[in-house]
Amino acid sequence: MIGGIIISLLMLVIAYAVLRTVVIAIFGGNRHGDWLRKQLPLWEGKEIINTEQSGMIRQFYHLDNGQQKKKTDAVKIILIIGAIFLGVGVIFLVASNWRKIPAHIRTINLLLITIAALFAGYYFSYEKEGHPLLGKSLLFLASIFWGSSIILICQIYNIPSSGNWMIMLLWALPVLPVAYFFNNKYVFLLASALLIAWNFLYNSSNSAANYYYPVLVFCLILPMAFKLGAWVNINILGLLAASFSCCFVEYHWQYSWLAIFISGGLLVYYLIKKEEKYFSAASLSFIAWQIVYFNAAAVKRANFYFLIPLIALFFFTYRDKLKKSLCINIFSAILWFHLMLYPYSEVFNDKYDGITTLVIQLFIGVILYLIGMLHSESKKHFAGLYKSIGFATVAGCVYLLSFKKMLIQNAGFEHGFFFIVCLALVIAAYLLLIWNLYKHPVRTKNFKMELICLAALFSGSLFILFFPALASVNTVIMNTIIFLLAVVSIFYGMAIRSSGVFNSGIVIFVLLIITRYVDVFWELTEKSWFFIIAGLFMLIGGAYLEKQRKKVIEKWGAE
Amino acid sequence: MSRKNITFCIAGLWLVLALGLIGYKQRILATGIKVLLETVPVDPRDFLRGDYVILRYKISSLSSIPGKSNFNRGDRVYVKLEPVGEYWEAVAMKAKNEIERGDVVIKGKIRRRGVVEYGIESYFVPEGKGREIEKNMAGRSKVAVEVIVDKHGNGIINKLFIDGRVVHL
Repeated sequence: MIGGIIISLLMLVIAYAVLRTVVIAIFGGNRHGDWLRKQLPLWEGKEIINTEQSGMIRQFYHLDNGQQKKKTDAVKIILIIGAIFLGVGVIFLVASNWRKIPAHIRTINLLLITIAALFAGYYFSYEKEGHPLLGKSLLFLASIFWGSSIILICQIYNIPSSGNWMIMLLWALPVLPVAYFFNNKYVFLLASALLIAWNFLYNSSNSAANYYYPVLVFCLILPMAFKLGAWVNINILGLLAASFSCCFVEYHWQYSWLAIFISGGLLVYYLIKKEEKYFSAASLSFIAWQIVYFNAAAVKRANFYFLIPLIALFFFTYRDKLKKSLCINIFSAILWFHLMLYPYSEVFNDKYDGITTLVIQLFIGVILYLIGMLHSESKKHFAGLYKSIGFATVAGCVYLLSFKKMLIQNAGFEHGFFFIVCLALVIAAYLLLIWNLYKHPVRTKNFKMELICLAALFSGSLFILFFPALASVNTVIMNTIIFLLAVVSIFYGMAIRSSGVFNSGIVIFVLLIITRYVDVFWELTEKSWFFIIAGLFMLIGGAYLEKQRKKVIEKWGAE
Repeated sequence: MSRKNITFCIAGLWLVLALGLIGYKQRILATGIKVLLETVPVDPRDFLRGDYVILRYKISSLSSIPGKSNFNRGDRVYVKLEPVGEYWEAVAMKAKNEIERGDVVIKGKIRRRGVVEYGIESYFVPEGKGREIEKNMAGRSKVAVEVIVDKHGNGIINKLFIDGRVVHL
């Protein structure tokens, strides 16, 4: 079964690479280039530009190389697919274990074919002119044949499936020189995919964390990827997969260290290369570490160590203005907060169930929004991100809490440890609000709109906290708040001319109407009327909203 | 170094690795001790290497091995074998430093559910033959495997027996 998964994985990776090249070749990776190529003669004809300028534009956008490249890509694809078919065919031939030919003859034959393909690849790449693509494909084929040879030898000596990780390693490492010295990106992709498979098989077969994989990737594979100028991302994905796979294997501390080791390595790469993808990957890997730690500690210990990398990650995010990473790290901080609280449910005998999580998450959303408001103009992008995440969190939580069934569950919410946590969050949010009021002495209309929502959220959620038993009243409060959020978002969106905010207001509004409609009328015995009325209502309402939305957006455009 | 020389080096490396792997296994086959183990087979399919029969041995069960007190899951163990009647059976479980001169041991690893894995649990057969063999095994046939073990405890399957007869595929 594992073998099947590996083959499928390999085929998927190869298919992705081939498909990507096919799509680029057929549909053209440069559609604008094609458009420009057609437009230039027209512009020349109408004397908008002269021939010289046209030539300069062609040169600047490399438009004359396009057709040639397209043909080359098509040939490359045919050759690579041919190599893959031949290689996979040989693997299946080996798998069929045809015993009419003695084992030693089969081994010698396959090894000779492998070496012959290697030399043929070299010959067509460097000795015979005019066949570089054929040469590359033959080198790729030789690399697949090499894998077949290893599989055959292991089959002859009955090495069990639990030893498949060794096959992957014996296949991947010896083909790396081919990738490196002959600049063969396909062989490199094959080796990268094999090493990813090796990591998973090693983990499952040995019930142990595979520290060799990240060491190999950090010290050898990534530098090779830089040299070849290809497949860096697949190896970063491999590292992330290794990190997150730790969350699903048997919980043990050694996996915890593997995830943090990968995070550290990626962070070092970020410091060297200064590219955000390494930092984002490191941030994601730290999330994996949190989960592994949580599992390894058998949900009994809060991970306060995580605060150290979290502070460091936020420091780099702000220093280097890494917007994507900030998003990941905000999520990471939220997750940490919940995972940190969870173990205390046992200590204080207070249930940390879904509803408690939701209420706490609501306050976290408010805090995030207030943090966004605190950001100065120079950090406007970050402010937007905090506000967006905060708004989405709050809207999501309030929406879920607007269901009466949900609030009935909340009726049993005791004034225990998590009640105190909620109060602490309310106090934190309140302090942030005061800070905001102090920081924004000039009260704009927009600021006032934000304040109205926040005041409603504060009072509504405090009421839920103190009077959880009043489920009906709480339902009304939550529905009012979500209605207010929708209305304010629409007006706020119009005021700041943000179609995103405006549309999200409309989405919340529509969602609220549909949900409540379903809540109220679903109990009707005659379901046909439910659907007919709902359908009519949505068509008319949708048409009206569409008209209003268009009007507003057109108005913005005109202004 | 020229690309031609690099090609020769890679070819050499591949040959050395392949022949090294073969040599290592052949050395065990040539110098090891033959032990006959009783089995219980199953038949899955491994996409990488075609059909094979999963073999379970009497010695695969941790409960059938004496002297296992100090070992945990994931530990490397050396199971001492001795002939008891027709088959060889486990008489003790040892750590590497406990192996005595003249001991016939097989190296294994303790897996989940009290199973010891020796690396001799798969026997590859031609495509489609797995079911056939399984069918033969399903009755009251006695299935045994001749394993060759070297002095370090590495084992390799040499022959498969059904009712005392070697299976030729």
